[in-house]
Amino acid sequence: MEVNPLSVILVKADSKGDRLLFRYPYQIQQNDSVLKTKEQKKNPYSVSTTDDVLQNTPPPSSNINNGELCGFTDEVLSTLFAVKPELTSQKFELKVNDVRFVSHPTQMQPKDESNGSILINVVFALHAQASYSIVKCYYELSKKLGYALRMEEERVAYLTEEMGIMVKTHDEVANLIEQKKSVLNDCEFVMILERSSLAQTLKSIYHDLCTTGLINISINQHVTLSFCFPQKAHQFHRKGTIVEPEAIDKCLKSLKPYHGMLLLVDFADLLDCVPPTGARILLQLVENYNPLKSLQNIASEANISIDMVYQIVGHLVYWAKATIIYPLCETNVYVIAPDASLHIHSHLVDKFSTSFPGMSLFEVISDFSLPTSIGHLTTPLQQPARQGILAQMVLWMLQHHLLMQIHTYVQFMPFSEEAVDGETEEILVSEEDDVNENDSTLSISIPVPHPSQRSYIEERLSNGDSTVSDNINVQPSSSHKSNYSMTNSGSLLSVDEEDDNKSQVSIEDEEIIKGLLSAFPSSDRAAVKKIPAAGNVEDLTLMVKLYQAGYFKGEHHLEEIMYFENLRRSQLLQLLDKFRDILIIYETEDPAVIL
Amino acid sequence: MNKTQYFEGCGKEGLIRCIFLSEFHPTDGSKISCQVPENYVSDKIFGAVNVYIIPKKQLLTCTLTVNALGVKIVGYPVRIKNEKYKRNAFHFNLCFVCDSWARSVQYEPVVKKLSEYLIMMEEESGFLSKEGENRQRLVQMFDKILKDLNESKVSTLVEGENSIYLKIVNHRPDPPLVKDYMVPLLTFEYKDIPLESWDLTTQQILPYINGTNHIARISAEADVDINLVKQCIQNLAYYKVLCLLPILKYSNVYMCTQNLKNLIKDTELSLACRTFVKLNPDKPIPPIQRVFLFYASMTHGISLRSICQRLNPQNNNIDERKLVIFGMQHNFIRCIHKYPVFIGNEPEGRQKMYTGLCNFDEICCKTGLSPFGIEKDIDKDTNVTVIWR
Repeated sequence: MEVNPLSVILVKADSKGDRLLFRYPYQIQQNDSVLKTKEQKKNPYSVSTTDDVLQNTPPPSSNINNGELCGFTDEVLSTLFAVKPELTSQKFELKVNDVRFVSHPTQMQPKDESNGSILINVVFALHAQASYSIVKCYYELSKKLGYALRMEEERVAYLTEEMGIMVKTHDEVANLIEQKKSVLNDCEFVMILERSSLAQTLKSIYHDLCTTGLINISINQHVTLSFCFPQKAHQFHRKGTIVEPEAIDKCLKSLKPYHGMLLLVDFADLLDCVPPTGARILLQLVENYNPLKSLQNIASEANISIDMVYQIVGHLVYWAKATIIYPLCETNVYVIAPDASLHIHSHLVDKFSTSFPGMSLFEVISDFSLPTSIGHLTTPLQQPARQGILAQMVLWMLQHHLLMQIHTYVQFMPFSEEAVDGETEEILVSEEDDVNENDSTLSISIPVPHPSQRSYIEERLSNGDSTVSDNINVQPSSSHKSNYSMTNSGSLLSVDEEDDNKSQVSIEDEEIIKGLLSAFPSSDRAAVKKIPAAGNVEDLTLMVKLYQAGYFKGEHHLEEIMYFENLRRSQLLQLLDKFRDILIIYETEDPAVIL
Repeated sequence: MNKTQYFEGCGKEGLIRCIFLSEFHPTDGSKISCQVPENYVSDKIFGAVNVYIIPKKQLLTCTLTVNALGVKIVGYPVRIKNEKYKRNAFHFNLCFVCDSWARSVQYEPVVKKLSEYLIMMEEESGFLSKEGENRQRLVQMFDKILKDLNESKVSTLVEGENSIYLKIVNHRPDPPLVKDYMVPLLTFEYKDIPLESWDLTTQQILPYINGTNHIARISAEADVDINLVKQCIQNLAYYKVLCLLPILKYSNVYMCTQNLKNLIKDTELSLACRTFVKLNPDKPIPPIQRVFLFYASMTHGISLRSICQRLNPQNNNIDERKLVIFGMQHNFIRCIHKYPVFIGNEPEGRQKMYTGLCNFDEICCKTGLSPFGIEKDIDKDTNVTVIWR
């Protein structure tokens, strides 16, 4: 796992020189045994290559053994990381073969002013392949540790004291070795770990990084340090997928007030991700938490500003404590997520049966092979309890990323029948123009030479459209028009003339409609006008409003339009149905809830 | 330089900004003895990082990269032991310098190879350690390498009887695993490369790569061992010469992705798509509305066949197969696969394959049965449930 650190190393440099104070993990005995076995394996009959070009036998090109750092002596590490003063207080990165070292060397004045400044460097050794975002997280962590140590040094000379303990232990062991007393390998680190609280802190940081990716420690029981590696933390819920911080940022940027939150952990496990000062507001939010509520509702009920709620939710998502959903309701449509880890050997199968006795995950989830809503799966005749259990199961499956919600998106796209009518030249010409003009929605304009003539036709069209649409074979409850008649455009005019006298639209309305239609590009106007509902001021007003707000570019799903325009679902669906000839509807997932 | 475009972690490969040779001088210590362009790495910067350029002996012949003070220096420190030298050894390090935001891993083998070449030259004639006219020669060499590698990623040096070939090989992410049931498709820009310029295996299988044949079939038709085909395809996929798609069947189900809106937003893409999906080359390209409508109709539970029946794509000069291929290639759509899962106690025979990890394509390929046959088999079996995802 390339997220895990290979080693954490603490190096100091002061007036008494540089020294590696502590490193963890410290067992490197295996390294020697590896070298020995290598030598043993050598074929005794092989010719020794004395005239090697490189003269020196090349050292192993890997410095990783069993996920631990190897091949560096403490002295080498010490000289490498006791950096020159020019390199302090900035990112330091060194790559040796397949190991990358990253740190933020920190310089500080000891509390006891008599000594010169101290340089302290908390270095993390990583796999060289670790992605940039991982390296950056380690750098930030090293920086925070450096600041914390400086604070504690200025306050109570904590670092000087801990350094003293470590140096003394090193010297003790060195003396023992000098006196030829038998000592265990690396026993100085064992002793340091017993004596120094800073060493214990580094050890627990290492273990947290390898297990959860969440760090919540206090240095010298005074400075609290919380840190999260999202690449690791999210593995707890989604094994095998590395969630990059950029993906989380992207998801949080598209957060809207109508979104909801789904906690992934128990309440008790929430508090370790916030500093004590933030705990109160988190509790306030969690007390009002419910996956059925939107963030806006939570905000108003908890009496917190929505921006604050965004911040807290963003924090919880980053720390893998929560995920973003659309508030659970009967009309939400779910399908099985494409990356769901659904197989018979998955641990989720047993976990599900434990949470819902007597239920089989596969039987329940196979209902979602086709887009399905909770309302769909339950009938009013059933006991309400059954619906409750179903909702619980859906939440469980959302928490484990087995389901994803499907949303409906709308794209404004009028059809101009001329395209079908075989005006090949016209199409090819306008094609070229379009690329230049950057106008993608419509490539074919109606070939009308004079503007005056055009408005005349438009006026006439507006009256006769109801009959026209009867001519077109529109399939009910669908925006797809497969049997579009080729002869429509030809017959338009004659139909219009017939209808001319039946005009019941007042002149006033006509003016309003004309004004409204000007919202659409001239090339699309005729197509819009042909829709029967375009003759209704009320319908057209709403249509133009939504069109101008940019809702029909496939970037806003129905729920979002409903929320921002304060519409009921039935209202919106009716409108979309009325204008189905110029709109294309499709279903896909919401990018904000992908995490 | 555009700061927003180049930042640390942008993952872009940058140019080599400078090449220098550093050596350990018996009296002056570590220093830069030759640098192209001159003074790119200032004495101040070198002074701060020289521990990593001429390091302790344990770090010799290691690829060392130090990234600090705005420069990224890739080096390969070496030592030649010989009594003729003042301190019985000659230490030097040939380094490439990049911007700190740039990836540099692709330069490591080149730096190593060039260092080994310099060792050889030094041993033969004392090329590096002798002061004098050789310095000028070295400057010319570095100048040429810097220019060649930045321009064409290859460089050839000839020095007396020795010649050396340097080539930068870019590192790419690991290619996907190639399975029997996958369909390779050549990407656009590689379509017109003459057949004889490919390697032998590729030459043999390339005529069968058409976006419709799956790996097992290509292997059978080209009469090439399937593992060889897979290796070859994987290699081509690594270099992005081709992409791998699921088998195109009319029973397939697809769904739209968020990328579909790009088809409208991006006029170039939209034109490319309309041109690609054209059925009859003599007729005008299909209107975008029809193409978009076809994609938009794809959703769970609706097979390609039923969309075709409803929309009659050929009436609009649309080739639905090409439409699917284009959509998959540009991620407008995603194939929704069918996974049978055995939920009984003791699986027997074919049931053992119904783990939830093998989709229908894979099972058909392994058993040689048609999807219809498997379907019938599963329908009868109450212990098997089917999951679409």
